[in-house]
Amino acid sequence: MTLLFAHADCPTSVLALRRLGAARADGAALVCVAQETPEAAARLARRTGVAFTVLAEDSPYPVSRAHGVDAVPTAVVLERGEEIERVVGWDAAAYERLLGVQLPGEPRSKPGCGARWMYDYGARGGLDELEDMFERGWSDGLPVIPPTRERVEAMLGGRDRTDSLGFIPPGHGEATLERVAACAVLAGCKPAYFPLVVAAVEAALDPAFNAHGIAVTTQPAGPIVIVNGPARERVGLNSGMGVLGPGARANMTLGRALRLVLTLTGGALPGALDRSTLGNPAKLGLCLAENEEASPWEPLHVERGFAPDASTVTVFAADAPLSVSDHRSLTADELAYVLATAAGATWSPFWWPMDYQSLFVVCPEHAALFRAAGWRKARLREAIFEHAVRPARELNRGETTPYVKAADPEDRVHKWTDADRILIVVAGGEAGRFSAVFGPCGGMGETAITKEVRWTT
Amino acid sequence: MDYVSPFDERTREPRRLAPRTADLRGRRVALLDISKARGAEFLDEIERLLRERGAATSRHAKPTFSRPAPPELVDELVRDVELVVEGLAD
Repeated sequence: MTLLFAHADCPTSVLALRRLGAARADGAALVCVAQETPEAAARLARRTGVAFTVLAEDSPYPVSRAHGVDAVPTAVVLERGEEIERVVGWDAAAYERLLGVQLPGEPRSKPGCGARWMYDYGARGGLDELEDMFERGWSDGLPVIPPTRERVEAMLGGRDRTDSLGFIPPGHGEATLERVAACAVLAGCKPAYFPLVVAAVEAALDPAFNAHGIAVTTQPAGPIVIVNGPARERVGLNSGMGVLGPGARANMTLGRALRLVLTLTGGALPGALDRSTLGNPAKLGLCLAENEEASPWEPLHVERGFAPDASTVTVFAADAPLSVSDHRSLTADELAYVLATAAGATWSPFWWPMDYQSLFVVCPEHAALFRAAGWRKARLREAIFEHAVRPARELNRGETTPYVKAADPEDRVHKWTDADRILIVVAGGEAGRFSAVFGPCGGMGETAITKEVRWTT
Repeated sequence: MDYVSPFDERTREPRRLAPRTADLRGRRVALLDISKARGAEFLDEIERLLRERGAATSRHAKPTFSRPAPPELVDELVRDVELVVEGLAD
């Protein structure tokens, strides 16, 4: 007697059953145990044309587990109730020998798949739970991790789940630690990331951040997260190559967790209370760690009054980053001029001066040029400010400010109202001269907010 | 499955629109300017049309469009008027 374990979502299982069905394999010697409901097992049998018996075994799959079947298709050959042989995956030669049939056709062998019970979280159907999350509206458009009570408890790490961080605008849902933890689970965070998620939510709820205005505006901006200090290494954040893009779990899920708190608990769902005309890709979530090691300057958090060994999270409202290629500038001043010129076009090309913050991400190669020139960060900030200047007559078109309209055409107008509107961090890979400047969120009276991370363990 | 919801269910209840006012005569209508550029001119015109229909109008303004109205302003409106026209946004 051979038990053939299979399930319908495994292409190799379907292949095996079709081949065996076509060969009219003897049902006396072979029984299929399908890891399916009876209805699905019946469909599988019809679909593959098998003449031998197909049994249905639904979750929790006791027979499969009892035989230690963690892959399908697996044929377990029994003699007097004892296992004498096992065939894992499709192996035509082995089945021909075992069943005394000819099994022509290609391929002669093929690897199988995980057994149903390897990845269905105890529920039927594998992907049903993930579809359920979409149907409930608990997603940002990508699959999320279902926030079971066990996962949320693990995320809370012993914290009081009823503790509240406040009410999240615009919907004013209360950010209990339990809900924040649910969002962190949804986002795919590890429990180790949770203290940073909490700090990010605290920062976003600071009235000076104006989460309400940022959430409901027609502007494209959304909150992004910048991490400084030992937390970067502690949770495995990327501050180097590809820092603004995907690839690192900590970066992607941390940024996403903050966004889920704001959109789900806070109600700022795109198309509902979030009225952003275009949105921007970073609104899925963006978290970058500053590359403090490659920076010639004090890190962002030290500039903002925190100890170097403090771990901090800074939340900043930003549009998508504008990439600035410069592989040719030979002097610090020339490079500052290039960065300033690129920034001039951000948000609205002629709305000068703007009283909104701009974030520059300076790549290590550019930072090295400033280091070699002996430029401190303050000098770079001033140089960018001074270089982003144009006569009013060049700005008096389209969306421009009352200031420009009232100015003498030859008056020199700066991009920003003050140099202190310029934030600078260093991040990115060691090779390639591409820096970036983030467009601001305008008119919200907001400011970047930095909070220290509180570790409980 | 027993999941922990990220939503605060108290805030998800959809609010229903109040019934429309059939007759504006004698009704106290506030015109709330959210302080975007030239919104006042638009509200001037709305006010004129409302007065033609017999409404008693008053003008109010938020300090900035980018934040919710201050609680004192909301209290004042709740106390003193029956209807509010708020504008002008994008």
